[in-house]
Amino acid sequence: MKIFDLARKDLLRLFKNPFNLVMMFGAPFLITGLLFFAFGGMTDGRDDFNLQRVKVQIVNLDQAQGGLALGSTLVEFLQEENLSDLLQVQEVASEDEAHESVQTGSWDVAVIIPKQFTSSALSTGSDVAITLLQDPTLTIGPGIVKDLLQQFIDVFAGAKITTDVVSQQFSARDESISDPALQQIAMEYTGNFPSGDHQHDDRSSSLLIRFPEGVEEPENNSMSMIAPIMASMMIFFVFFMGANTAQSIIREDEEGTLARLFTTPTLKSSILGGKFISVFITLVFQTAVILVASHYLFNIHWGQPSVVIFTAFGLVIAASGFGVLLMSLIENTRQVGPILGGVLTVTGMLGGLFTNGIPNIPEVFETINLTMPQGWALRAWKMTLAGSSMGDLMLPVGVLLLVGLAFLSLGVLVFRKRFS
Amino acid sequence: MDQNKKAIQVKDLYKSFDEVEAVKGVSFDIKKDEIFSLLGPNGAGKSTTISVISTLLEPTKGDAFVMGHSVIKEPMAVKKTIGVVPQEIALYPDLSARENLNFWGKMYGLRNTELKTRLDEVLEIIGLTDRQNDRVDTYSGGMKRRINIGIALLHKPEVIIMDEPTVGIDPQSRRNILDNVKALNREGMTVLYTTHYMEEAQEISDRIAIMDRGEIIASGTHDELVKLVGEQDRIDLILNTVSSQLSDLWRKIEGVHKISSHNGTVTLLVEDSNLLLPKLFEITNQVDIRITSVEIFEPNLETVFLHLTGRTLRN
Amino acid sequence: MRIFGLIKKDIVQIFRDWKSTLFLIVMPILFTLFFGFVFSSTGNGNDSEDPRLPVGIFNQQEGNQANLYLLETLESSDIIRPVASEGDITDAEQQVSEGHLAAALIIPEGFELASLSLEEPNLLAISDTASLAGQTAVDALQTGLARLKGAVRIAQISTDHYADRVGFQDETERQAYYSQAIELSQRSWQNPPVQVELKKVVEGKVADESASLGFAQSSPGMMVQFAIFGLITSAMVLVLERKSGALKRLLTTPISKVEVIGGHTLAMFLIIFLQQAFLVLIGQFFFNVDYADEPLAILLMITVLAAWAASLGLLISAISKKEEQVIVLSLVAMFIFASLGGAWFPLEVAGDAFATIGHLMPTAWAMDGFQNIVVRGLDFSSVLLPAGILLGYSLVFFVLAVWRFQYE
Repeated sequence: MKIFDLARKDLLRLFKNPFNLVMMFGAPFLITGLLFFAFGGMTDGRDDFNLQRVKVQIVNLDQAQGGLALGSTLVEFLQEENLSDLLQVQEVASEDEAHESVQTGSWDVAVIIPKQFTSSALSTGSDVAITLLQDPTLTIGPGIVKDLLQQFIDVFAGAKITTDVVSQQFSARDESISDPALQQIAMEYTGNFPSGDHQHDDRSSSLLIRFPEGVEEPENNSMSMIAPIMASMMIFFVFFMGANTAQSIIREDEEGTLARLFTTPTLKSSILGGKFISVFITLVFQTAVILVASHYLFNIHWGQPSVVIFTAFGLVIAASGFGVLLMSLIENTRQVGPILGGVLTVTGMLGGLFTNGIPNIPEVFETINLTMPQGWALRAWKMTLAGSSMGDLMLPVGVLLLVGLAFLSLGVLVFRKRFS
Repeated sequence: MDQNKKAIQVKDLYKSFDEVEAVKGVSFDIKKDEIFSLLGPNGAGKSTTISVISTLLEPTKGDAFVMGHSVIKEPMAVKKTIGVVPQEIALYPDLSARENLNFWGKMYGLRNTELKTRLDEVLEIIGLTDRQNDRVDTYSGGMKRRINIGIALLHKPEVIIMDEPTVGIDPQSRRNILDNVKALNREGMTVLYTTHYMEEAQEISDRIAIMDRGEIIASGTHDELVKLVGEQDRIDLILNTVSSQLSDLWRKIEGVHKISSHNGTVTLLVEDSNLLLPKLFEITNQVDIRITSVEIFEPNLETVFLHLTGRTLRN
Repeated sequence: MRIFGLIKKDIVQIFRDWKSTLFLIVMPILFTLFFGFVFSSTGNGNDSEDPRLPVGIFNQQEGNQANLYLLETLESSDIIRPVASEGDITDAEQQVSEGHLAAALIIPEGFELASLSLEEPNLLAISDTASLAGQTAVDALQTGLARLKGAVRIAQISTDHYADRVGFQDETERQAYYSQAIELSQRSWQNPPVQVELKKVVEGKVADESASLGFAQSSPGMMVQFAIFGLITSAMVLVLERKSGALKRLLTTPISKVEVIGGHTLAMFLIIFLQQAFLVLIGQFFFNVDYADEPLAILLMITVLAAWAASLGLLISAISKKEEQVIVLSLVAMFIFASLGGAWFPLEVAGDAFATIGHLMPTAWAMDGFQNIVVRGLDFSSVLLPAGILLGYSLVFFVLAVWRFQYE
């Protein structure tokens, strides 16, 4: 049938052009590969993600009291062997030096232990704080150090609270208790902490943690970050190719071959139909290759095959329709580049493709995402990766199909009018 | 003329684009196995007329029939009988010659063995068998024109429509094309040929229609057309300077019928060049202008056009 | 001079093309706006909306005092925001897997504070701990629980000591003492007496933790990224000139090859420089990014960035034969340099190897230079090294481009 001859000719031209192959496969894999590399592809084989060590300078101004030097204990804690993969620690003498280091960016954070750290920790009433100066361009490293420090000093906070509570309660009942007794009570809370035994971990055993049903725990934490990124890239470049393939009709108009086609005994509907079939086949092929290759390259488990196919189908229809409509509004091939680049980038951005993975995005952005077909595609793929069933996916995939067919119909109408 | 012996019949054709009337009441017939040329300058309406006959455009008024089929009512039937060679190179530059022909053959309904055989034949006809697997964008202009023609021949159409097929190519390629046209006609193909080159129309055509500003101003065989200008001679003069005063003075000479200027060449239609040439020279001397070149032509299509319109074909 | 004629011609061609406005101006502004809002909102709350991670609390027994203590403890967290949720475990899992909650905490019926000290875990947290949000939420839950557990221990210690030293009349008095102790200690934990204060070093002073990065991150990042993206139009001019034969024709005029290459490069430089200057003004006046603090430093940075981008543009146009190749190479260059250089995300979140390689990129140095001024609040001297390195890269790319340049 001529409609397939037309599609075949378009596919032949498409696959002969290296630019198309780069945009179909090269670009999404390059970007995802880069990010894969960024987030763990080059680990040394261990399970945990090989994050950069946080560079920490410590200024210990603390003065020992009563044989205790909690500041020094804190310094030792941060310099422990089991934290050496996480932290690079250097002790410096002055606060100014540490401040300068952080300000110039040569060190990430500075921990300033105040002069009265030990004495305040052991006495009632007075509060004390350790200051953590950070490079303002950083977020994760300072957060890690803060978390570690908090874990450590919570022991002393607990001790102080113990003495404060006991004092308050005794005092409320007109009973007195001596300072040494309070100190002993504080020690009881810390569980002989200063002697070096700090297996005192209140954090772990109260909570049983598990993954949501249907979500597979990844072998490697970094791998789970790649899957949504790959999904975003796949969506972006499938939409790109949908429009890029559809532009062939404009190119043929300029080349004169479209007019020539109209002089042959070939129905106009066949000519347009052939174009659309080539768009569809291209996108199916592209999506399939990306899904399969990413599974082997990045160990991404997309989900149940039937569900994956269902979601992929929705993506292909939406991208085909979007591309056909976009191209129907373009006058000549010179406009194609910027329209492809500009419109697809902006709609992709609004659809959430470039902010996928950033935690705690405000809900208003999620709403904005859903004004774009790319946003619905992203939602569908996230649900697929999370193990949702076909029933759960009815809504997002249904929207994709509906939107895709609507765009396609509109695009067809415009093209028919143009070439009537 | 018997309807059955007419390959193409154009009846009172009009085509307007907004307020511009590109074709105004054009009528002509083309016999089967005839080479018929539409001759006229750029903008005369030749391509528009061709586009209507090729079913690319619908006429505003009137109709055209190809092998008895109306272009308005039976466009598919018309498409099956015609092969079109458009003015621009309408090929896929990133495909090879063979791939191009293969695709277009399918568009004309050829399949399988028939298509393959015909592909080889056409490649032989256009002389591109050796380079059939090279991409078209690596070809010279002449080679591209040959494939452009080859596509139109694939399905052995009864009528071939060629819209200025020799524009912008070298003389040798042009020669090849003209020879091919004659060869195709000898094999029984009716040819509708448009051109603004008088020599081409003169060489290959059985009949010629001269078109200007959307209308057919004369048609017939070459001899019939030339007779329109009678015994008038055409003189082309190149002067050392442009002078409208000189043209005015020449017009007053008895026997000078038409004067036209284009790109420094003054063309005159005169009664008898032998008698009038000395008078022309005399007046030129009087106004202190020098004639640097003189050419005298026997009446031809250029003369006919000048006689009918007051302009040359190249204006 | 002929070279100025060439520069003028290129600039006119670029500005006549409406696509230039799109690539050079509109898109970087849109992206800056978008990412600026995103980073501002996910940062430390200039927003009216609570930016803490939402954790669903699925309380299987309402009115339980222990549950109330637990909720109060979690409410005081800086990191998580407890959200009272209805439903069972299945509902909790769905909400987490759909991304509505960073984590879900299931408090079973009959939950008692004493159970926090048991060996067996008695609270269930559902979270995708493979994600940053999930892990952060679980960590914060554990911290909160640890504090509550601490409160229980403190209450026990206080009660035991009172019992030893003074004594209780009966069990009721003991229980009242114990409850009071829990309440006192739990309240104290909401504002612990020993804390860590996180401060950012900005403009030579320490600033409140809540000062948001927001546009100070996205503005320079997008400037760096779109300096490269904008090359599409300027590199295209040269490629089209070559393709049409106009470049070859140019060489038949009395103009040297040096002037030809120099003119095209200078045109690209001027376009990008103007783009960057415009974006700096937009950042300063619309996004409150403090570029004006060190105007000379910023001027130097945009000059060297433009020089490097121009040399990259020349290289792209030197090796591209067609318009499509310009687009592909510009896009690929943008992706590589922007991602590796920290324009998309801070290199600190990337792995060691990636970050090391990233810091070799000219874009990383450009980001350093800008951030030294707008985020760290340093002075002019802080941009000298980044500027020097960018200039070095410019030279390398320029030499490569000249070596590869074809005139037809």
